[in-house]
Amino acid sequence: MCGITKAFVRDLPVLESVDFDIAAGEIHSLLGENGAGKSTLMNVLVGLVRPDAGTLVVAGEPVDFATFGPAQAARCGIGMVHQHSALVPAMTVVENFAFGDPDGGWLFRPARRRSAVQALAERFDFDVPLDRRVEDLSVGERQRAEILRVLGRGARVLILDEPTSVLTPGEARRLFTSLRRLRDSGHSVVFISHKLGEVEEIADRVTVLRRGRTVGVLDVAEADAPTLGRKMLGRDVAPLDRTGRPPVAAASGPPLLQLNGLAAPGATEASRLRGLSLAVRAGEIVGVAGIDGNGQRELEEVLAGVRAPSSGELRIRGEAVTPGARSLRAAGLAHLSGDRETSGLIAGFSLAENLILKGSYDDRRFFRRGCLDLGAARTAARDVAARYGVVPNDPDADIAVLSGGNAQKLTVARELDGDPAVLVAVNPARGLDVGAARFVHERLIERRAAGAAILLISTELDEVMALSDRLVALVRGTFVPIPAGADRAEIGAILLGGTVT
Amino acid sequence: MTVRDERLVDVARASFAIVLALVVVAAALALLGFEPGPALAALARGSLGGTAALTATVLKTTPLLLTGLGVALCFRCGVWNIGAEGQLLVGALCATAVATRLLPDAPAVVLLPAVVLSGALGGFAVAAVAGALRASRGVSEVISTILLNFVAIQLVALAVHGPLQEAAGAYPKSDPFPVAALLPAIGRWHLGIAVAALLAVATEVLLFRTAIGFRMRAVGLAPRAARFAGISPERIGLATLGLGGAFAGLAGAFEVAGVTGQLYEGISPGHGYTAIAVALLAKLHPLAVIPSALFFGALEAGAGAMQREAGVPASVTQVVQGIAILVSATFAVAARRRPGAAAAGAASAAAEEAT
Repeated sequence: MCGITKAFVRDLPVLESVDFDIAAGEIHSLLGENGAGKSTLMNVLVGLVRPDAGTLVVAGEPVDFATFGPAQAARCGIGMVHQHSALVPAMTVVENFAFGDPDGGWLFRPARRRSAVQALAERFDFDVPLDRRVEDLSVGERQRAEILRVLGRGARVLILDEPTSVLTPGEARRLFTSLRRLRDSGHSVVFISHKLGEVEEIADRVTVLRRGRTVGVLDVAEADAPTLGRKMLGRDVAPLDRTGRPPVAAASGPPLLQLNGLAAPGATEASRLRGLSLAVRAGEIVGVAGIDGNGQRELEEVLAGVRAPSSGELRIRGEAVTPGARSLRAAGLAHLSGDRETSGLIAGFSLAENLILKGSYDDRRFFRRGCLDLGAARTAARDVAARYGVVPNDPDADIAVLSGGNAQKLTVARELDGDPAVLVAVNPARGLDVGAARFVHERLIERRAAGAAILLISTELDEVMALSDRLVALVRGTFVPIPAGADRAEIGAILLGGTVT
Repeated sequence: MTVRDERLVDVARASFAIVLALVVVAAALALLGFEPGPALAALARGSLGGTAALTATVLKTTPLLLTGLGVALCFRCGVWNIGAEGQLLVGALCATAVATRLLPDAPAVVLLPAVVLSGALGGFAVAAVAGALRASRGVSEVISTILLNFVAIQLVALAVHGPLQEAAGAYPKSDPFPVAALLPAIGRWHLGIAVAALLAVATEVLLFRTAIGFRMRAVGLAPRAARFAGISPERIGLATLGLGGAFAGLAGAFEVAGVTGQLYEGISPGHGYTAIAVALLAKLHPLAVIPSALFFGALEAGAGAMQREAGVPASVTQVVQGIAILVSATFAVAARRRPGAAAAGAASAAAEEAT
């Protein structure tokens, strides 16, 4: 693959002329942070995403992207196992093999199919119960079935998207053994990961992606984990200007936000919150670093009042607050989410309507005796647009036409204008260009100077390191302390589970 | 493009959909071996030509307007209420039970409000069953409202063959309503027509000028974002479905108390289903439901005339109505994709990609 470029949103490329090559009989790791473009690059390779520019050559044959889809990729011997299962839960493993097989013919012959699958499984030492329904399988078994299915379609290049993220250490070990066997039989394996340790263990070569660009191709024999970590996280990112920031004088201030043994169910076992305790004082930014899927989303939802904690309590200004979006807001907590499209703003609503979105129960400026005062909302929206430089400044414009940066300015305006005592900011600059990101960060620093307690949850290590007075890591639903003055590599090791086993 | 411009485009699109529907209907008539010219002329005469025709159109429009409003309200809130038909039928059933069995001798001051309210309550109750299942157990309202339609059809059949059957016992229909239970009327124009028109305005106000309407629209556009704003999509969805059901129930009560004066099977020729097309053609705008319902009402009234005057058999007029509904609704729905929505979709795809 050569010079692959892709932008889903204009002028915001996910991939910028990325080169990638894989040889027969190697395990090649694709390493990078979340959002570095790993999955997108591989989706290009399997024909799910059409690049804006670039070329792809498979076994010496150039590929025409205009006609390159998943079926063509499969014919070229390229197969991918995605993070989310593509198997039909209600079918058995053998039935799943027959399902959608282009060479399967129109008759389902279970015995014949079963013996073919069995032979394949034995050859590469994949232990899968073939006659059980997929929904009854463990996650590891499901993954093995999925790999087998891709192999069964004749894949010579097998792409695994963060395969170990769902596995126990023992299962990961077994997966590695099978992958080595695959390599020794001449298959190529692309192993997408952001875990340095396992890349070092399994891969022959590594391509490191950072923010949509290739930053290096290395032989693993020549590179150790710290080198890879530096490449992956990058050193030369311009640090946020810290000048003008008062020292952490407020550390003695009263705690405005307290989490006491907060536990909550999670989307996955790894993201379950297991008794989180933390205090954020007036005038400080506490950064929660971590890799997606370790409970970030769950913590955000609990703090925003849309996920009920199973135990523990939440205190704002020392007072225990009943969880709920309205009560938390009334207590003085504001929630600034980078996930604008699904949790912050409503596409189809105007600027004015989005501005007053959170006040429909108690904001007397816009809602009186059950009536909506759209005139007041419009005036407020015009004022906010002017002060925060939101373009367009038409209060009736659908926010779907706003760029990410302008949409986030509107969110910032809504959340910060009431001078909240506590601010929970979650990936607040996600998807923004440098200028817009800087704007959001400066507002956070402003609020800190004004005496707000800010909890910054972000998967961007640069962001939390630059903004926070103190750092903790959220790893598998637990807070892990990060010592003051820890450098990027040390923090990286903690995030990747280096200190907890 | 300003909001006003968008509205104009919407109106132009809907008008075009209507014209297109008529063209397709003409073509279909020609294909079936009828002369489209005289047939369409009969359709126009029967719906718009003269006082009697206009009255017929307005009478057909009223139930479509009320059920269309209920459906539009639900769709705005992201609740796919396909059960207006059943809600209408149970509304008619409840109104009949009150008028002919529970309070047949009450004076009009008592009986009339009781008949109308019981109709609304009946529709509300049927919708609330689906709403409660949805809010508590996550049962898809699409399925439950459709299935409740069949329950309602059978309930009406049961009633007119059993407890509500006329005293004479000859036909499967109810006793005629006592005079005190009939809606006041000028000629055939009953009070329900005015009420329906007023409710269209009220619904517009509810959706766009009140806090509850604001929450309904927020839930319909983005339930997750609404939740972050402290709004419960379950509760709002339940309330909206109930209200939509009450509108349909009211339509049923007005039919029996304003038009037929009694209940029988087949009291509704599928008003509750046409309501979906009515709401879609109006692009879910309550005020726009008025002209949209008028169009479908005219079609229904005119179809009768087409049958009588141009010799087009009843089955063919039904085909014609079906085609008109299909073409106009399809066009209205297809036009709902907007560039803004596409951009938002791409942005969310990119955001998903980044995880």
